[in-house]
Amino acid sequence: MPSPEPAGAPLTWAATCGGCGLVCDDIEVVVGERGGLEHLIRTCPLGDAWFAERVAPGPPLARVDGREAELDGALDQAAAILSQARAPLVYGLGQTTCDAQRAAVALAEAIGAVIDPAGTVLDGASGLAYQTLGASTATLGDIRDRAEVVVVWRADPVATHPRLFERLGLPDPDRELVVIDERRTATAAQADAFLELPADRDVEALWTLRALVRDTPIADEAAVERPLRDLAARLTACRNGAILHRVRGHVEVLALHALVRDLCRVTHIVALMLRREGNAAGAEDVLAWQTGYPAAVSFARGHPRASPGELDAAAVLERGEADAALVVGSDPLEQLPPAAAERLRAIPVVSVDPRDTATAAAARIAFTTAAPGVHRAGVVHRLDGVPIPLRSPLASSRPSDDEVLAAIAERLARPREALA
Amino acid sequence: MLRIASGSVYDPANGVAGEVRDVCLSEGKVVEDVPAHAPRIDARGMVVMPGGVDIHAHIAGPKVNAARRLAPEEHRADVVDRSAVLRSGTGGTVPSTFVTGYRYALLGYTTVVEAATPPLAARHVLAELRDTPIIDAAFLLLMGNNLALFDLIRRDPARVRDAIAWWLGATGGYGVKLVNPGGVELWKRANGNVTSLDDEVAGVTPRRVIDAIAGAVHELALPHPVHVHCNNLGVAGNWRTTLDTLQTLEGRRAHLAHIQFHAYGGRPGGRPRSRAPELAEYLGAHPELSADVGQVMFGPATTMTADAPVSALLRDVTGGKWVNADTEVETGCGIVPFTYREKNYVHALQWGIGLELFLLSRDPWRLVLSTDHPNGGSFLSYPRLIRLLMDREFRNEQLRRANKRAIRRTVLLEDLEREYTLEEIAIVTRAGPARLLGLRDKGHLGAGADADVTIYDERADREEMFATPRHVIKSGRPVVRDGELVEARAGELLRVSAPYDPAIDYVLRAQFEERYSVQFDSYPVREPWLLEPARRVLAGRS
Repeated sequence: MPSPEPAGAPLTWAATCGGCGLVCDDIEVVVGERGGLEHLIRTCPLGDAWFAERVAPGPPLARVDGREAELDGALDQAAAILSQARAPLVYGLGQTTCDAQRAAVALAEAIGAVIDPAGTVLDGASGLAYQTLGASTATLGDIRDRAEVVVVWRADPVATHPRLFERLGLPDPDRELVVIDERRTATAAQADAFLELPADRDVEALWTLRALVRDTPIADEAAVERPLRDLAARLTACRNGAILHRVRGHVEVLALHALVRDLCRVTHIVALMLRREGNAAGAEDVLAWQTGYPAAVSFARGHPRASPGELDAAAVLERGEADAALVVGSDPLEQLPPAAAERLRAIPVVSVDPRDTATAAAARIAFTTAAPGVHRAGVVHRLDGVPIPLRSPLASSRPSDDEVLAAIAERLARPREALA
Repeated sequence: MLRIASGSVYDPANGVAGEVRDVCLSEGKVVEDVPAHAPRIDARGMVVMPGGVDIHAHIAGPKVNAARRLAPEEHRADVVDRSAVLRSGTGGTVPSTFVTGYRYALLGYTTVVEAATPPLAARHVLAELRDTPIIDAAFLLLMGNNLALFDLIRRDPARVRDAIAWWLGATGGYGVKLVNPGGVELWKRANGNVTSLDDEVAGVTPRRVIDAIAGAVHELALPHPVHVHCNNLGVAGNWRTTLDTLQTLEGRRAHLAHIQFHAYGGRPGGRPRSRAPELAEYLGAHPELSADVGQVMFGPATTMTADAPVSALLRDVTGGKWVNADTEVETGCGIVPFTYREKNYVHALQWGIGLELFLLSRDPWRLVLSTDHPNGGSFLSYPRLIRLLMDREFRNEQLRRANKRAIRRTVLLEDLEREYTLEEIAIVTRAGPARLLGLRDKGHLGAGADADVTIYDERADREEMFATPRHVIKSGRPVVRDGELVEARAGELLRVSAPYDPAIDYVLRAQFEERYSVQFDSYPVREPWLLEPARRVLAGRS
């Protein structure tokens, strides 16, 4: 049930935006007399788009092969597809609530699926580096209040997380902002220092920084560029510093964690990956607390088994193993590498999403649900892991995604012949 | 309804020690009698105890989950299949949530306290507890490095009590935990720490924080007193800090967490030795104080703590995986997987000190069993620990295998021949913790108690006996039957209800706007699905 919380004027409701991993919880939604969205206060362009996509008049609640269908029949068919699949895939999860994620994991377990949040595709493979070395990290408030140096490594938050600097109180004459990227991005334009680094030179640069931080002799001292030396000096000289990044590859993330660890022997350094989706962190958290693993989990053997890389959604699709897919709040046809997307087009897909996406339009069965954060309350985990409540400023008569997932799961529990 | 017939009942809270009698259950409670036709469990030759109560463990929340994610190799080696009644999962020292609930129940434990929750992460803790079936659970809020509270302690100490009650109400918490007060704040600033109770941190000192918060908890009359993880954990010579802390608390009730880790003599940086006898003596003489042991068990563990500077030291010991996570305003967090080895001097000394504390304890009601799961070892090692306490020959055999120099630093070889009785085990594993937590319906089998009952086959090998209870009843329903888990319903959240002056809202709102990165109105947990089913335990003296 929608339960708006007043935030001042009678028709203004408090809200949380799910437009990126920052999930800003200071948004106000001004609602018109007929219950529609009039305008938004404090949203960024991404947030405006996020709300707009969710309040647009959506397609029918249930569609089968693109045509409107009765909800019950569509749920039966979805359950039949998923229960009859030999190797189903559950994908997405990063844009919905922890509760829907919980329902999706339960469903994946019930059908013996591989389940993989979209984070690996959208944000890169960070899990193996974490499992190898661990990490040092902090919540946004601590980075805002303590970090004397903020390094943005291969990320452009001005475009991807537009309110990040506002929320971190940057730029700030008393703190240093260093940006490292292959070109002068909008973020770089705000930096005190910009270090241009070709896209394939992360490992080299990070390893050089490690050597500088550890005071290890470097064979060709003269070849180390001045900006890298300056950066190493800045980081080791500060009392508290933060590295915000969108470093993607396994080896690159490992090198970054290794540098952070070296720095931590000298001073207090944290790193934070700038995840794209509003609840990408929650998807990994829920999967981890229920299974022990944050991503690429297979329930095919009746218990959780994880193999990052091998059991990534893209890999499972590219190898032609997945023979049906449940997509929750995600548009993989727009995100996956071409070969994986091609396979996804060839198998029956069940889409559960508040939006009309390319994946939903192409799906065998598509449910267009009420939107978490607009029509339904819930909890998401911000990119730093902090749980944040989503509100429900607007009303919708549609069921929520977790209700649709639970209805599918409930049908799986029925005797098999009833599904045919 | 259920009659547990003719078992040897150990119900120390009601003065019952092995008497053969019936225990009757109806509608989730222990009752005087049930009709003759009620279903019965024939418990002849079996030992009947209240369900176990774990006063200090780490089972849910961001810190636990970060540790879970760190150990795929442990999970791969220990899997649990899905069944008609159970969800699947993985084990190891940090099991998945479902498996945590199952294994506690299979061990005969029905109530567990998550001992270290950052208030900002309460929703995460609650969500994990909701997925931790069977057991009732409570959590303690980390309040010893909270900058907003420090500010109140300096400027408006009379408000500290209202602020604490507000925090408990806003999160669903049960009690208040201090972890290395002041030290974690210095760690987050620039890798610092405190070394004494009088070091200055943000305008306060550890002593002032301990005094103010213990005082506030005392005034609120929370069912569980302030739960303290002292400064200088693990440091040689830290027993003086522990005594100093106890003296600062004096007169007020307090519970010391994992006191074993705080009972070291020697000089900082040097070799630790045991000061267990001194601390046991002090505890014995001060009835307002209690502690759990935090026994170290040889084998794998995962250290996880809000005491992040300690984790950095452990990182330098292992050179292995390490997690540091700073939570704004409130706390820090450190995680290091760790293995305790019997031949290692320090590990053997820690193991020995834990046993000394147990064996020298004069009052089992106030020195209760824990391994600080999974810091000193998994909760699955409790049965082995019980055997160490109950079986002198077994203990002496283990002593001979441990590092000799370490054991010589303890009094274990000096005719510490004590063997715990079943009654004492019932006290340190259920009756005592329940009493210290102020859970009046837990830890005993008198009429009106919760119908949480564990039934063991009486066996000479106490480790086997306590590792595999025959039957476990939770809220009147059999959940373990003949050693098999047969049902896994949700347990209850145990939360405290402590009144406060609503004017504290304005004070805290200003603090939040200055310090937090979340809105004040986002902070209190309001989601009913996270807070139910719950039981409220009232603060106040009666």
